[in-house]
Amino acid sequence: MGKTEVVAMILAGGQGSRLGVLTKTIAKPAVPFGSRYRIIDFPLSNCVNSGIEIVGVLTQYQPLALNTYVGNGHPWDLDRNNAGAYILPPYQTADGSSWYKGTANAIYQNMSFVDDNSPKYVVILSGDHIYKMDYAAMLKAHIDKGADATLAVYEVPWEEAPRFGILNTKDDDVIEEFDEKPAKPKSNLASMGVYIFTWDVLREALIEDEADPDSNNDFGKNIVPNLLAKGKKLCAYRFAGYWKDVGTISSLWETNMDILDKPEEINLVDRSWKIFSRNPVKPSHFIGSGAKVRNSALTDGCRIFGDVEHSVLSESVIVEKGAVVKDCVLMPGVVVGEGAHIERCIVDFGTIIGKNVEAGSFVTGEGPYTNKKLCSEGICVFERGLKIKDGAKICQNSMVDSDVEVAEDDSVIESTFRV
Amino acid sequence: MFNNAMGLILADNKKISLGELSTPRALSAMPFGGRYRIIDFMLSDMVNSGIKNVGLLTYNKYKSLMDHTGTGAAWSLDRKNDGLHILPPYVNSEASSTISDEELTGVMDFLRQSRSTYVIVAGSNIILNTTFDDFISSHEASGADISVMYNRDGTKYGNPSYILDIDEDGFVRDMLFNPPKAASSKCSLGILCLRRDLLIDIIAKQMAHGTTHFGIHSIVKMFDELKVYGFEYSGVALRINSVQSYFNSSMSLLTDSVRNNLFWSGNPVYTKVKDEAPTLYFDNADMSDSIVSDGCRIYGKVEESVIFRSVTIAKNTTVKNCVIMQDVHISENCYLENVILDKNAFVRPGVKLVGHPDYPVVIGKGAGI
Repeated sequence: MGKTEVVAMILAGGQGSRLGVLTKTIAKPAVPFGSRYRIIDFPLSNCVNSGIEIVGVLTQYQPLALNTYVGNGHPWDLDRNNAGAYILPPYQTADGSSWYKGTANAIYQNMSFVDDNSPKYVVILSGDHIYKMDYAAMLKAHIDKGADATLAVYEVPWEEAPRFGILNTKDDDVIEEFDEKPAKPKSNLASMGVYIFTWDVLREALIEDEADPDSNNDFGKNIVPNLLAKGKKLCAYRFAGYWKDVGTISSLWETNMDILDKPEEINLVDRSWKIFSRNPVKPSHFIGSGAKVRNSALTDGCRIFGDVEHSVLSESVIVEKGAVVKDCVLMPGVVVGEGAHIERCIVDFGTIIGKNVEAGSFVTGEGPYTNKKLCSEGICVFERGLKIKDGAKICQNSMVDSDVEVAEDDSVIESTFRV
Repeated sequence: MFNNAMGLILADNKKISLGELSTPRALSAMPFGGRYRIIDFMLSDMVNSGIKNVGLLTYNKYKSLMDHTGTGAAWSLDRKNDGLHILPPYVNSEASSTISDEELTGVMDFLRQSRSTYVIVAGSNIILNTTFDDFISSHEASGADISVMYNRDGTKYGNPSYILDIDEDGFVRDMLFNPPKAASSKCSLGILCLRRDLLIDIIAKQMAHGTTHFGIHSIVKMFDELKVYGFEYSGVALRINSVQSYFNSSMSLLTDSVRNNLFWSGNPVYTKVKDEAPTLYFDNADMSDSIVSDGCRIYGKVEESVIFRSVTIAKNTTVKNCVIMQDVHISENCYLENVILDKNAFVRPGVKLVGHPDYPVVIGKGAGI
């Protein structure tokens, strides 16, 4: 390949505050997903599988884990001589420094990165969706239609449409109007947050947007409506495959469960479109005698001596004898102690669930950690690096957070440690 | 971390055959333990000891080995200085019909280019998880010319075995090859430590005498003229000498002590990564006492087995006491016991295959049953 045709930019700087303790110390795209992945593996792998070799990863919020994870891009074959993965944090200039004010401003601040590669097109992606998509096919549609911008859209159920940014289109999927979370939607085509722009057009729009002091500097709120107002040709690109937003506790849990309930939809075993990840260096998993494992996903380093049912386990999880793990998502290194019983729990990195703990959807009532704002459907979430007291009871819809002030006797946390 | 050593690993062993299993590959490229090849252990041991320069001496069937090692990136051996060096037979055009001393010529070039003081030399059939720091410091302290690592497994793993007779000061005074009745239980692990310049001298001498093949125990055998020290290794060391010892060694991973010593001692075992999906267990999966790798789909029953990557075990099928390698598909209503299935084998519905624990059935690479 001679001249660069396309550069991808992944917006990975958001906090993902609706994930509560899971994003307290890491950015959302670095959150583990689906037993052996991180969320960002999906857009990164999609890029590589689509033939895009220059990928900028824009980081801002708690970037350490994400920077370390992406590293030199090697796991995705993005360690090329004149291409690859580039971490793009906010920076200082002679005029001072500024954080990324919004999604559009993040790209604005990195215009010289894009210019240096002088692409014709730019793909803008977000780091919080689980899907497999061929951006090359989308780019082809963009070129064939002579569009200035192409937005990937997903047909959502009509009753859910008010939760999304909705695109109203005319014939040939040319976009007429962008409705952010409309009360009365005129269409059910939701924007997936996957954009392709002709770079010259976007470049100009970013400069104009930056000059407007009232702008939110956001793609959905500002750039897209402004381009429409200027009469640019924006097209919708319909995507029909599996696509899930994992921005909330319940959607993160559900999307993990989809791997078990409808494995053919996301189809992780498809060797023609592999999802690459940074592999842990751990031996194959071991299932001891007396263990039961059904309807579950497991990966390297797990050691199972108890019952695991309908759960997604990341690397090096230990489930001890007599423990019951049901409908759970366990992140790397979690230990479930002897006789513990947990259901519908999301347990973050390394947390040790003490012996005979009872936690999750089957424990009714409310307790000091109940957090109905973020947790629903009975799901309990545990922060990383906690030792939960033996025999503790944690009721449904709790978020166990070491920063929540709880009377000593009511606290379920024995100690905290660095993971 | 000791830094002043380099490594030399022999990729194959002409004295060891695993029948159909070693037809497509060198011994060190033999899949082992779910996601590894035998060589991963020795390469990781060297890297975990701070060794940054490793030569891999091959003479045939090295395709699968080279696919596996690649540039050495998985072991952090893709380096500008040093790194992983594959040393294939050095065939020069004028003498293409016979490979004379070219195997040793290649080794000599590799040894001469290095600046390390010591060389750790290892064979292709040993699986252990260790670092060589103690081995090298004991070698230095002993004042020996050569140190050889051994343990007390005797002839437990069958032939070939090199039984050492060691005097009270720890020096080797005799070595017996496949003795009918072992005089001691001290069996060489075929891992040596010696100075690089001494190894160069030894090889030069061997070449002058017309030797073409690099043999670890031909160096140990020099106990008459050089001081050869025996270093006892007390951790778990598995030897792959035959199909039977391969099978037994694989099954020994199911015991906690062996598994913990080889995999959870704190030193990681590196291998080529494959980016398979997580393994999925379905409704009627029934698992016990088994090692399972990524990318598998398990619908049936698995007992006391080692399952490699991307294996499918269908409904109403039982797999017991088996080693099932990568990409094997086992259809419905099968019963397999004491079977080794090599990569890509396909078992059709309703097949019953039962071997004996002392004589497992071996199904070759890509076979259809």
